[in-house]
Amino acid sequence: MSKATVANSSGARWTTYLRSRTLALNVLSLVAFLLVWHVAAVMVKSPFFPTPYKILQAFILLASQGDTMGNSLWAHCWASLYRVLVGFAMGVLFGVPLGLVMGLSPGLYSATRSIVEPFRFIPPIAWIPLAIIFFSGLPRFAFLIFIGAFFPVFTATLVGVARVEPIHRKVAAVYGASRLYVITHIVIPTVLPDITGGMRVALGAAWLTIVAAELSGGTSVGLGRMMVNYAELLQIPEIVVGMVLIGALGFAMNEVLLSFERRLFRWRWRVTI
Amino acid sequence: MEDVIKVRADITHRYGELLVHDGMKLSVKENEFLCLCGPSGCGKTTLLDIFAGIVKPSDGHVLIDGEPADPKRHNISFVFQEASTLPWLSVRDNISTGLRIKKLPRAEIRRKVDDIIGVVGLRGFENYYPHQISGGMKQRVSIARAFATDADLVLMDEPFVSLDQPTREKMQREVLSIWEHRKRTIIFVTHNLEEAVFLGDRVIMLSKKPARIVANLSVDLPRPRDPMSEAFVALRARCAELLQEMHETDAREECKEQSESVRASS
Repeated sequence: MSKATVANSSGARWTTYLRSRTLALNVLSLVAFLLVWHVAAVMVKSPFFPTPYKILQAFILLASQGDTMGNSLWAHCWASLYRVLVGFAMGVLFGVPLGLVMGLSPGLYSATRSIVEPFRFIPPIAWIPLAIIFFSGLPRFAFLIFIGAFFPVFTATLVGVARVEPIHRKVAAVYGASRLYVITHIVIPTVLPDITGGMRVALGAAWLTIVAAELSGGTSVGLGRMMVNYAELLQIPEIVVGMVLIGALGFAMNEVLLSFERRLFRWRWRVTI
Repeated sequence: MEDVIKVRADITHRYGELLVHDGMKLSVKENEFLCLCGPSGCGKTTLLDIFAGIVKPSDGHVLIDGEPADPKRHNISFVFQEASTLPWLSVRDNISTGLRIKKLPRAEIRRKVDDIIGVVGLRGFENYYPHQISGGMKQRVSIARAFATDADLVLMDEPFVSLDQPTREKMQREVLSIWEHRKRTIIFVTHNLEEAVFLGDRVIMLSKKPARIVANLSVDLPRPRDPMSEAFVALRARCAELLQEMHETDAREECKEQSESVRASS
Protein backbone atom coordinates (compact mmCIF):
# COMPACT_ATOMS: atom_id res chain seq x y z
CA MET A 1 0.00 0.00 0.00
CA SER A 2 2.69 2.51 1.01
CA LYS A 3 4.64 1.76 -2.16
CA ALA A 4 1.59 2.51 -4.24
CA THR A 5 0.95 5.81 -2.43
CA VAL A 6 4.50 6.98 -2.96
CA ALA A 7 4.35 6.13 -6.65
CA ASN A 8 1.05 7.99 -6.99
CA SER A 9 2.29 11.14 -5.29
CA SER A 10 5.39 11.35 -7.50
CA GLY A 11 3.08 10.82 -10.47
CA ALA A 12 0.91 13.67 -9.23
CA ARG A 13 3.93 15.96 -8.96
CA TRP A 14 4.89 15.09 -12.53
CA THR A 15 1.33 15.84 -13.70
CA THR A 16 1.38 19.22 -11.91
CA TYR A 17 4.69 20.04 -13.56
CA LEU A 18 3.34 19.13 -17.01
CA ARG A 19 0.20 21.14 -16.42
CA SER A 20 2.02 24.33 -15.37
CA ARG A 21 4.43 23.93 -18.30
CA THR A 22 1.50 23.64 -20.72
CA LEU A 23 -0.10 26.73 -19.18
CA ALA A 24 3.11 28.76 -19.52
CA LEU A 25 3.54 27.71 -23.15
CA ASN A 26 -0.05 28.71 -23.91
CA VAL A 27 0.36 32.15 -22.35
CA LEU A 28 3.55 32.57 -24.36
CA SER A 29 1.94 31.65 -27.68
CA LEU A 30 -1.07 33.88 -26.98
CA VAL A 31 1.23 36.84 -26.32
CA ALA A 32 3.16 36.09 -29.50
CA PHE A 33 -0.08 35.92 -31.49
CA LEU A 34 -1.26 39.31 -30.18
CA LEU A 35 2.15 40.78 -30.90
CA VAL A 36 2.12 39.62 -34.53
CA TRP A 37 -1.43 40.92 -34.91
CA HIS A 38 -0.46 44.30 -33.46
CA VAL A 39 2.61 44.69 -35.66
CA ALA A 40 0.63 43.71 -38.77
CA ALA A 41 -2.17 46.16 -37.94
CA VAL A 42 0.26 49.01 -37.32
CA MET A 43 2.00 48.29 -40.64
CA VAL A 44 -1.22 48.09 -42.65
CA LYS A 45 -2.57 51.27 -41.05
CA SER A 46 -6.16 50.73 -42.20
CA PRO A 47 -9.37 51.50 -40.28
CA PHE A 48 -10.54 48.04 -41.44
CA PHE A 49 -7.68 46.30 -39.62
CA PRO A 50 -7.84 47.28 -35.94
CA THR A 51 -5.08 46.52 -33.46
CA PRO A 52 -5.82 44.22 -30.50
CA TYR A 53 -5.83 47.32 -28.32
CA LYS A 54 -8.72 48.78 -30.35
CA ILE A 55 -10.64 45.55 -29.76
CA LEU A 56 -10.00 45.81 -26.04
CA GLN A 57 -11.25 49.41 -26.06
CA ALA A 58 -14.39 48.37 -27.93
CA PHE A 59 -14.90 45.55 -25.45
CA ILE A 60 -14.60 47.89 -22.45
CA LEU A 61 -17.00 50.35 -24.04
CA LEU A 62 -19.54 47.62 -24.86
CA ALA A 63 -19.22 46.06 -21.43
CA SER A 64 -19.68 49.35 -19.59
CA GLN A 65 -22.24 51.14 -21.76
CA GLY A 66 -23.99 48.50 -23.84
CA ASP A 67 -24.55 48.70 -27.60
CA THR A 68 -26.21 51.33 -29.77
CA MET A 69 -29.62 49.72 -29.24
CA GLY A 70 -29.28 49.85 -25.45
CA ASN A 71 -28.65 46.13 -24.93
CA SER A 72 -25.83 45.23 -22.59
CA LEU A 73 -23.01 42.98 -23.72
CA TRP A 74 -23.98 40.45 -21.07
CA ALA A 75 -27.52 40.30 -22.44
CA HIS A 76 -26.07 39.40 -25.84
CA CYS A 77 -23.72 36.77 -24.34
CA TRP A 78 -26.38 35.26 -22.12
CA ALA A 79 -28.97 35.13 -24.91
CA SER A 80 -26.62 33.16 -27.16
CA LEU A 81 -25.28 30.98 -24.35
CA TYR A 82 -28.78 30.13 -23.13
CA ARG A 83 -29.94 29.15 -26.62
CA VAL A 84 -26.85 27.01 -27.11
CA LEU A 85 -27.33 25.27 -23.75
CA VAL A 86 -31.00 24.48 -24.38
CA GLY A 87 -30.46 23.18 -27.92
CA PHE A 88 -27.31 21.30 -26.95
CA ALA A 89 -29.02 19.63 -23.99
CA MET A 90 -31.88 18.54 -26.25
CA GLY A 91 -29.43 17.17 -28.79
CA VAL A 92 -27.71 15.09 -26.10
CA LEU A 93 -31.00 14.02 -24.53
CA PHE A 94 -32.24 12.60 -27.83
CA GLY A 95 -28.92 11.67 -29.44
CA VAL A 96 -27.63 9.36 -26.71
CA PRO A 97 -30.73 7.15 -26.22
CA LEU A 98 -31.42 6.94 -29.95
CA GLY A 99 -27.78 6.10 -30.65
CA LEU A 100 -27.90 3.39 -27.97
CA VAL A 101 -31.15 1.91 -29.27
CA MET A 102 -29.95 1.85 -32.88
CA GLY A 103 -26.51 0.59 -31.88
CA LEU A 104 -28.01 -2.23 -29.83
CA SER A 105 -30.38 -3.26 -32.60
CA PRO A 106 -28.35 -3.13 -35.81
CA GLY A 107 -31.43 -4.43 -37.62
CA LEU A 108 -33.35 -1.26 -36.78
CA TYR A 109 -30.47 0.92 -37.91
CA SER A 110 -29.96 -0.84 -41.23
CA ALA A 111 -33.72 -0.85 -41.86
CA THR A 112 -33.91 2.92 -41.34
CA ARG A 113 -30.55 3.86 -42.79
CA SER A 114 -32.04 5.48 -45.87
CA ILE A 115 -33.89 7.93 -43.62
CA VAL A 116 -31.30 8.49 -40.91
CA GLU A 117 -28.23 8.98 -43.06
CA PRO A 118 -29.58 11.63 -45.51
CA PHE A 119 -30.82 13.67 -42.55
CA ARG A 120 -27.28 13.75 -41.28
CA PHE A 121 -26.19 15.63 -44.39
CA ILE A 122 -28.81 18.36 -44.20
CA PRO A 123 -26.86 21.07 -42.37
CA PRO A 124 -28.65 22.98 -39.60
CA ILE A 125 -28.38 26.12 -41.70
CA ALA A 126 -30.57 24.47 -44.34
CA TRP A 127 -33.27 24.18 -41.68
CA ILE A 128 -33.34 27.94 -41.04
CA PRO A 129 -36.08 28.70 -43.61
CA LEU A 130 -38.40 26.08 -42.13
CA ALA A 131 -37.54 27.16 -38.59
CA ILE A 132 -38.41 30.77 -39.48
CA ILE A 133 -41.83 29.65 -40.73
CA PHE A 134 -42.68 27.30 -37.87
CA PHE A 135 -41.05 28.75 -34.77
CA SER A 136 -40.13 32.04 -33.25
CA GLY A 137 -38.04 33.10 -30.28
CA LEU A 138 -36.22 30.53 -28.19
CA PRO A 139 -37.85 27.45 -29.81
CA ARG A 140 -36.53 28.53 -33.21
CA PHE A 141 -32.95 28.77 -31.99
CA ALA A 142 -33.20 25.74 -29.77
CA PHE A 143 -34.55 23.70 -32.67
CA LEU A 144 -31.75 24.73 -35.01
CA ILE A 145 -29.07 24.04 -32.41
CA PHE A 146 -30.71 20.73 -31.62
CA ILE A 147 -30.31 19.76 -35.29
CA GLY A 148 -26.67 20.78 -35.15
CA ALA A 149 -25.91 19.00 -31.87
CA PHE A 150 -27.97 15.84 -32.33
CA PHE A 151 -26.05 14.11 -35.10
CA PRO A 152 -22.53 14.31 -33.66
CA VAL A 153 -23.80 12.80 -30.41
CA PHE A 154 -26.05 10.25 -32.12
CA THR A 155 -23.35 9.07 -34.54
CA ALA A 156 -20.65 8.86 -31.86
CA THR A 157 -22.93 6.77 -29.64
CA LEU A 158 -23.99 4.52 -32.51
CA VAL A 159 -20.39 3.85 -33.54
CA GLY A 160 -19.33 3.39 -29.91
CA VAL A 161 -21.83 0.60 -29.28
CA ALA A 162 -20.39 -1.37 -32.17
CA ARG A 163 -16.99 -1.16 -30.50
CA VAL A 164 -18.03 -3.01 -27.33
CA GLU A 165 -15.65 -5.96 -26.97
CA PRO A 166 -17.43 -9.32 -27.34
CA ILE A 167 -15.24 -10.68 -24.54
CA HIS A 168 -16.62 -8.06 -22.12
CA ARG A 169 -20.19 -9.07 -22.95
CA LYS A 170 -19.16 -12.68 -22.46
CA VAL A 171 -17.73 -11.96 -19.00
CA ALA A 172 -21.16 -10.70 -17.93
CA ALA A 173 -23.03 -13.49 -19.75
CA VAL A 174 -21.02 -16.22 -18.02
CA TYR A 175 -22.21 -14.98 -14.63
CA GLY A 176 -25.80 -14.94 -15.83
CA ALA A 177 -26.18 -11.17 -16.30
CA SER A 178 -29.45 -9.89 -17.74
CA ARG A 179 -29.58 -7.89 -20.95
CA LEU A 180 -30.25 -4.74 -18.95
CA TYR A 181 -27.19 -5.39 -16.80
CA VAL A 182 -25.05 -5.80 -19.91
CA ILE A 183 -26.34 -2.47 -21.23
CA THR A 184 -25.83 -0.53 -18.01
CA HIS A 185 -22.58 -2.15 -16.87
CA ILE A 186 -20.79 -3.10 -20.09
CA VAL A 187 -22.17 -1.12 -23.04
CA ILE A 188 -22.60 2.29 -21.40
CA PRO A 189 -19.17 2.39 -19.71
CA THR A 190 -17.60 1.45 -23.06
CA VAL A 191 -19.55 4.07 -24.99
CA LEU A 192 -19.27 6.97 -22.49
CA PRO A 193 -15.94 8.25 -23.84
CA ASP A 194 -17.41 8.24 -27.36
CA ILE A 195 -20.46 10.10 -26.10
CA THR A 196 -18.44 12.86 -24.46
CA GLY A 197 -16.26 13.05 -27.58
CA GLY A 198 -19.42 13.45 -29.64
CA MET A 199 -20.62 16.10 -27.21
CA ARG A 200 -17.51 18.15 -27.79
CA VAL A 201 -18.01 17.97 -31.55
CA ALA A 202 -21.68 18.86 -31.01
CA LEU A 203 -20.67 21.91 -29.02
CA GLY A 204 -18.76 23.25 -32.03
CA ALA A 205 -21.77 22.57 -34.23
CA ALA A 206 -24.05 24.31 -31.73
CA TRP A 207 -22.04 27.54 -31.79
CA LEU A 208 -21.79 27.41 -35.56
CA THR A 209 -25.53 27.14 -35.78
CA ILE A 210 -26.41 29.83 -33.22
CA VAL A 211 -24.45 32.51 -35.00
CA ALA A 212 -25.96 31.61 -38.37
CA ALA A 213 -29.44 31.54 -36.86
CA GLU A 214 -29.04 34.90 -35.12
CA LEU A 215 -27.64 36.44 -38.30
CA SER A 216 -30.84 35.41 -40.04
CA GLY A 217 -32.82 37.68 -37.74
CA GLY A 218 -35.88 37.29 -35.58
CA THR A 219 -34.20 38.59 -32.45
CA SER A 220 -32.71 41.77 -31.05
CA VAL A 221 -30.19 40.12 -28.72
CA GLY A 222 -27.50 37.52 -29.16
CA LEU A 223 -23.86 37.76 -30.16
CA GLY A 224 -24.64 37.02 -33.82
CA ARG A 225 -27.28 39.76 -33.83
CA MET A 226 -24.89 42.22 -32.23
CA MET A 227 -22.27 41.51 -34.89
CA VAL A 228 -24.75 42.12 -37.72
CA ASN A 229 -25.80 45.42 -36.16
CA TYR A 230 -22.21 46.63 -36.03
CA ALA A 231 -21.52 45.31 -39.53
CA GLU A 232 -24.24 47.62 -40.81
CA LEU A 233 -22.40 50.47 -39.07
CA LEU A 234 -19.04 49.25 -40.46
CA GLN A 235 -17.61 49.18 -36.91
CA ILE A 236 -15.10 46.43 -37.12
CA PRO A 237 -13.73 46.34 -33.52
CA GLU A 238 -17.19 45.56 -32.13
CA ILE A 239 -17.64 42.73 -34.65
CA VAL A 240 -14.32 41.25 -33.58
CA VAL A 241 -15.36 41.53 -29.91
CA GLY A 242 -18.35 39.33 -30.80
CA MET A 243 -16.07 36.82 -32.52
CA VAL A 244 -13.63 36.72 -29.61
CA LEU A 245 -16.48 36.21 -27.14
CA ILE A 246 -17.91 33.31 -29.17
CA GLY A 247 -14.46 31.72 -29.23
CA ALA A 248 -13.96 32.29 -25.50
CA LEU A 249 -17.38 30.95 -24.50
CA GLY A 250 -17.00 27.86 -26.71
CA PHE A 251 -13.52 27.29 -25.35
CA ALA A 252 -14.73 27.58 -21.76
CA MET A 253 -17.57 25.12 -22.33
CA ASN A 254 -15.18 22.71 -24.01
CA GLU A 255 -12.80 22.93 -21.03
CA VAL A 256 -15.67 22.16 -18.67
CA LEU A 257 -16.52 19.05 -20.71
CA LEU A 258 -12.85 18.05 -20.81
CA SER A 259 -12.39 18.27 -17.05
CA PHE A 260 -15.59 16.29 -16.66
CA GLU A 261 -14.08 13.66 -19.01
CA ARG A 262 -10.82 13.57 -17.08
CA ARG A 263 -12.65 12.92 -13.86
CA LEU A 264 -14.98 10.35 -15.34
CA PHE A 265 -12.40 8.41 -17.31
CA ARG A 266 -9.55 8.19 -14.88
CA TRP A 267 -9.20 4.60 -16.03
CA ARG A 268 -8.29 5.81 -19.50
CA TRP A 269 -6.11 8.71 -18.60
CA ARG A 270 -2.55 7.61 -18.14
CA VAL A 271 -2.27 8.26 -14.44
CA THR A 272 1.08 6.54 -14.55
CA ILE A 273 2.32 4.72 -11.48
CA MET B 1 -14.86 -41.09 0.20
CA GLU B 2 -17.35 -41.61 -2.57
CA ASP B 3 -16.64 -39.51 -5.63
CA VAL B 4 -19.54 -37.25 -6.54
CA ILE B 5 -20.07 -36.55 -10.22
CA LYS B 6 -20.42 -32.80 -10.61
CA VAL B 7 -20.66 -32.39 -14.37
CA ARG B 8 -22.03 -34.84 -16.87
CA ALA B 9 -21.98 -34.00 -20.55
CA ASP B 10 -23.11 -35.67 -23.76
CA ILE B 11 -22.56 -33.26 -26.57
CA THR B 12 -23.15 -33.27 -30.29
CA HIS B 13 -22.66 -29.90 -31.87
CA ARG B 14 -22.84 -28.65 -35.42
CA TYR B 15 -21.71 -25.29 -36.63
CA GLY B 16 -23.76 -24.92 -39.77
CA GLU B 17 -22.93 -28.02 -41.79
CA LEU B 18 -19.74 -28.66 -39.87
CA LEU B 19 -19.89 -31.36 -37.22
CA VAL B 20 -17.75 -30.02 -34.37
CA HIS B 21 -18.47 -32.49 -31.58
CA ASP B 22 -19.85 -35.93 -32.24
CA GLY B 23 -21.48 -37.52 -29.22
CA MET B 24 -18.77 -36.54 -26.80
CA LYS B 25 -19.44 -38.08 -23.40
CA LEU B 26 -17.62 -36.64 -20.46
CA SER B 27 -18.06 -36.50 -16.72
CA VAL B 28 -16.14 -34.55 -14.12
CA LYS B 29 -15.98 -35.39 -10.43
CA GLU B 30 -16.55 -32.75 -7.78
CA ASN B 31 -13.37 -30.75 -7.08
CA GLU B 32 -11.56 -32.51 -9.87
CA PHE B 33 -8.94 -30.68 -11.91
CA LEU B 34 -9.55 -31.88 -15.45
CA CYS B 35 -7.29 -30.89 -18.32
CA LEU B 36 -8.56 -31.01 -21.89
CA CYS B 37 -5.86 -31.31 -24.48
CA GLY B 38 -6.27 -31.27 -28.21
CA PRO B 39 -4.94 -29.95 -31.50
CA SER B 40 -5.82 -26.36 -32.36
CA GLY B 41 -9.11 -26.05 -34.15
CA CYS B 42 -10.73 -29.00 -32.40
CA GLY B 43 -13.47 -26.77 -31.06
CA LYS B 44 -12.23 -26.44 -27.49
CA THR B 45 -13.52 -22.92 -27.07
CA THR B 46 -16.98 -23.88 -28.32
CA LEU B 47 -16.90 -26.83 -25.96
CA LEU B 48 -16.24 -24.51 -23.01
CA ASP B 49 -19.04 -22.15 -24.13
CA ILE B 50 -21.34 -25.17 -24.12
CA PHE B 51 -20.17 -26.15 -20.62
CA ALA B 52 -20.77 -22.56 -19.50
CA GLY B 53 -24.32 -22.77 -20.80
CA ILE B 54 -23.94 -19.74 -23.06
CA VAL B 55 -24.01 -21.87 -26.23
CA LYS B 56 -26.63 -24.58 -26.57
CA PRO B 57 -25.39 -27.81 -28.13
CA SER B 58 -27.25 -28.96 -31.27
CA ASP B 59 -27.95 -32.19 -29.50
CA GLY B 60 -27.32 -33.63 -26.04
CA HIS B 61 -26.85 -31.84 -22.77
CA VAL B 62 -24.55 -30.62 -20.04
CA LEU B 63 -25.75 -31.35 -16.52
CA ILE B 64 -24.33 -29.71 -13.42
CA ASP B 65 -25.54 -31.46 -10.25
CA GLY B 66 -28.06 -33.21 -12.46
CA GLU B 67 -29.58 -30.01 -13.87
CA PRO B 68 -28.98 -28.43 -17.29
CA ALA B 69 -26.11 -25.93 -17.12
CA ASP B 70 -27.50 -22.41 -16.89
CA PRO B 71 -25.46 -19.30 -16.02
CA LYS B 72 -28.45 -17.85 -14.15
CA ARG B 73 -28.88 -20.93 -11.95
CA HIS B 74 -25.32 -22.22 -11.53
CA ASN B 75 -22.20 -20.47 -10.45
CA ILE B 76 -19.99 -20.87 -13.46
CA SER B 77 -16.71 -19.01 -13.83
CA PHE B 78 -14.64 -18.51 -16.91
CA VAL B 79 -11.01 -17.50 -17.28
CA PHE B 80 -10.51 -16.45 -20.88
CA GLN B 81 -7.50 -16.77 -23.08
CA GLU B 82 -7.39 -13.06 -23.89
CA ALA B 83 -7.36 -10.18 -21.44
CA SER B 84 -10.88 -9.92 -20.09
CA THR B 85 -10.53 -7.40 -17.29
CA LEU B 86 -12.95 -4.51 -17.67
CA PRO B 87 -10.75 -1.43 -18.19
CA TRP B 88 -13.12 1.03 -16.53
CA LEU B 89 -13.19 -0.88 -13.24
CA SER B 90 -10.54 -0.99 -10.53
CA VAL B 91 -8.91 -4.31 -9.64
CA ARG B 92 -11.33 -4.68 -6.71
CA ASP B 93 -14.43 -3.99 -8.82
CA ASN B 94 -13.19 -6.31 -11.55
CA ILE B 95 -12.81 -9.13 -9.06
CA SER B 96 -16.26 -8.54 -7.60
CA THR B 97 -18.01 -8.48 -11.01
CA GLY B 98 -19.40 -12.01 -10.73
CA LEU B 99 -20.49 -11.50 -7.12
CA ARG B 100 -22.23 -8.24 -8.01
CA ILE B 101 -24.08 -9.87 -10.92
CA LYS B 102 -25.16 -12.63 -8.53
CA LYS B 103 -26.46 -9.85 -6.23
CA LEU B 104 -24.72 -11.00 -3.07
CA PRO B 105 -24.98 -8.76 0.01
CA ARG B 106 -22.43 -5.98 -0.03
CA ALA B 107 -20.66 -7.07 3.15
CA GLU B 108 -20.27 -10.59 1.84
CA ILE B 109 -18.86 -9.32 -1.47
CA ARG B 110 -16.35 -7.27 0.47
CA ARG B 111 -15.29 -10.21 2.60
CA LYS B 112 -14.98 -12.60 -0.35
CA VAL B 113 -13.01 -10.13 -2.45
CA ASP B 114 -10.64 -9.29 0.41
CA ASP B 115 -10.14 -12.99 0.90
CA ILE B 116 -9.30 -13.86 -2.69
CA ILE B 117 -7.12 -10.75 -3.17
CA GLY B 118 -4.87 -12.15 -0.46
CA VAL B 119 -4.80 -15.58 -2.08
CA VAL B 120 -3.79 -14.30 -5.54
CA GLY B 121 -1.31 -11.79 -4.11
CA LEU B 122 -2.88 -8.58 -5.35
CA ARG B 123 -3.02 -6.85 -1.98
CA GLY B 124 -2.08 -3.19 -2.32
CA PHE B 125 -3.33 -3.07 -5.89
CA GLU B 126 -7.08 -3.00 -5.16
CA ASN B 127 -7.56 0.51 -6.48
CA TYR B 128 -5.40 0.21 -9.57
CA TYR B 129 -6.91 0.14 -13.02
CA PRO B 130 -6.05 -2.62 -15.50
CA HIS B 131 -3.92 -0.33 -17.69
CA GLN B 132 -1.68 0.31 -14.69
CA ILE B 133 -0.74 -3.32 -14.07
CA SER B 134 1.15 -5.97 -16.05
CA GLY B 135 -0.34 -8.68 -18.26
CA GLY B 136 0.40 -11.36 -15.68
CA MET B 137 -1.35 -9.34 -12.98
CA LYS B 138 -4.35 -8.79 -15.24
CA GLN B 139 -4.64 -12.54 -15.71
CA ARG B 140 -4.38 -12.91 -11.95
CA VAL B 141 -7.32 -10.49 -11.62
CA SER B 142 -9.32 -12.71 -14.02
CA ILE B 143 -8.42 -15.78 -11.98
CA ALA B 144 -9.39 -14.02 -8.76
CA ARG B 145 -12.71 -13.04 -10.35
CA ALA B 146 -13.31 -16.67 -11.27
CA PHE B 147 -12.46 -18.01 -7.81
CA ALA B 148 -14.24 -15.26 -5.84
CA THR B 149 -17.64 -16.85 -6.48
CA ASP B 150 -18.50 -20.24 -5.00
CA ALA B 151 -18.19 -21.59 -8.49
CA ASP B 152 -19.77 -24.96 -9.25
CA LEU B 153 -17.52 -25.10 -12.24
CA VAL B 154 -14.45 -23.09 -13.25
CA LEU B 155 -13.66 -23.12 -16.96
CA MET B 156 -10.20 -22.06 -18.03
CA ASP B 157 -9.47 -21.51 -21.70
CA GLU B 158 -5.69 -21.56 -22.24
CA PRO B 159 -5.36 -18.80 -19.67
CA PHE B 160 -1.57 -18.62 -19.73
CA VAL B 161 -0.92 -18.86 -23.44
CA SER B 162 -0.06 -15.16 -23.80
CA LEU B 163 2.33 -15.08 -20.85
CA ASP B 164 6.08 -15.56 -21.03
CA GLN B 165 7.52 -18.85 -19.81
CA PRO B 166 8.63 -17.87 -16.27
CA THR B 167 5.35 -16.05 -15.58
CA ARG B 168 3.47 -18.98 -17.00
CA GLU B 169 5.19 -21.47 -14.68
CA LYS B 170 4.62 -19.19 -11.71
CA MET B 171 0.94 -18.84 -12.57
CA GLN B 172 0.56 -22.62 -12.93
CA ARG B 173 1.88 -23.11 -9.41
CA GLU B 174 -0.36 -20.29 -8.18
CA VAL B 175 -3.49 -21.78 -9.73
CA LEU B 176 -2.70 -25.07 -8.05
CA SER B 177 -2.27 -23.38 -4.71
CA ILE B 178 -5.50 -21.38 -5.15
CA TRP B 179 -7.29 -24.58 -6.09
CA GLU B 180 -5.88 -26.32 -3.02
CA HIS B 181 -7.14 -23.45 -0.83
CA ARG B 182 -10.50 -23.15 -2.55
CA LYS B 183 -11.50 -26.52 -3.90
CA ARG B 184 -13.41 -26.18 -7.15
CA THR B 185 -14.29 -28.33 -10.12
CA ILE B 186 -12.05 -27.15 -12.93
CA ILE B 187 -11.99 -27.82 -16.64
CA PHE B 188 -8.74 -26.45 -17.97
CA VAL B 189 -8.11 -26.35 -21.70
CA THR B 190 -4.57 -26.28 -23.00
CA HIS B 191 -2.63 -27.55 -25.98
CA ASN B 192 0.49 -27.80 -23.90
CA LEU B 193 0.98 -31.43 -22.77
CA GLU B 194 3.44 -30.53 -20.05
CA GLU B 195 0.99 -28.01 -18.60
CA ALA B 196 -1.80 -30.60 -18.68
CA VAL B 197 0.24 -33.28 -16.90
CA PHE B 198 1.59 -30.75 -14.41
CA LEU B 199 -1.84 -29.46 -13.40
CA GLY B 200 -4.48 -32.10 -13.96
CA ASP B 201 -5.91 -34.92 -11.88
CA ARG B 202 -6.90 -36.27 -15.24
CA VAL B 203 -5.96 -35.47 -18.83
CA ILE B 204 -8.41 -35.98 -21.66
CA MET B 205 -7.05 -35.84 -25.17
CA LEU B 206 -9.28 -34.76 -28.03
CA SER B 207 -8.98 -35.43 -31.75
CA LYS B 208 -9.42 -33.01 -34.62
CA LYS B 209 -12.94 -32.11 -35.79
CA PRO B 210 -15.30 -33.79 -35.30
CA ALA B 211 -13.72 -33.92 -31.88
CA ARG B 212 -13.88 -37.16 -29.96
CA ILE B 213 -12.06 -38.37 -26.88
CA VAL B 214 -8.90 -40.22 -27.84
CA ALA B 215 -7.50 -40.86 -24.40
CA ASN B 216 -8.48 -40.41 -20.80
CA LEU B 217 -5.49 -40.62 -18.48
CA SER B 218 -5.43 -40.29 -14.72
CA VAL B 219 -2.41 -38.50 -13.40
CA ASP B 220 -1.62 -40.28 -10.14
CA LEU B 221 1.42 -38.24 -9.27
CA PRO B 222 1.71 -36.49 -5.91
CA ARG B 223 1.79 -32.70 -5.95
CA PRO B 224 3.91 -30.64 -6.17
CA ARG B 225 4.93 -32.46 -9.31
CA ASP B 226 8.43 -32.41 -10.60
CA PRO B 227 8.47 -32.14 -14.40
CA MET B 228 11.94 -33.76 -14.34
CA SER B 229 10.85 -36.85 -12.41
CA GLU B 230 10.82 -40.19 -14.22
CA ALA B 231 7.10 -40.79 -13.74
CA PHE B 232 6.23 -37.32 -15.04
CA VAL B 233 8.42 -37.66 -18.10
CA ALA B 234 6.99 -41.12 -18.83
CA LEU B 235 3.42 -39.87 -18.64
CA ARG B 236 4.18 -36.90 -20.83
CA ALA B 237 5.85 -39.17 -23.34
CA ARG B 238 2.77 -41.39 -23.33
CA CYS B 239 0.58 -38.36 -24.13
CA ALA B 240 2.90 -37.26 -26.90
CA GLU B 241 2.82 -40.79 -28.30
CA LEU B 242 -0.98 -40.77 -28.36
CA LEU B 243 -0.94 -37.44 -30.12
CA GLN B 244 1.52 -38.79 -32.66
CA GLU B 245 -0.62 -41.88 -33.29
CA MET B 246 -3.62 -39.65 -33.79
CA HIS B 247 -1.80 -37.58 -36.38
CA GLU B 248 -0.69 -40.71 -38.21
CA THR B 249 -4.20 -42.15 -38.32
CA ASP B 250 -5.49 -38.83 -39.58
CA ALA B 251 -2.82 -38.71 -42.25
CA ARG B 252 -3.54 -42.32 -43.29
CA GLU B 253 -7.25 -41.61 -43.53
CA GLU B 254 -6.63 -38.52 -45.59
CA CYS B 255 -4.44 -40.58 -47.98
CA LYS B 256 -7.10 -43.26 -48.18
CA GLU B 257 -9.80 -40.74 -48.95
CA GLN B 258 -7.65 -39.15 -51.56
CA SER B 259 -6.74 -42.40 -53.30
CA GLU B 260 -10.41 -43.39 -53.24
CA SER B 261 -11.44 -40.17 -54.86
CA VAL B 262 -8.69 -40.61 -57.45
CA ARG B 263 -9.98 -44.12 -58.17
CA ALA B 264 -13.52 -42.85 -58.38
CA SER B 265 -12.63 -40.18 -60.88
CA SER B 266 -10.57 -42.43 -63.15
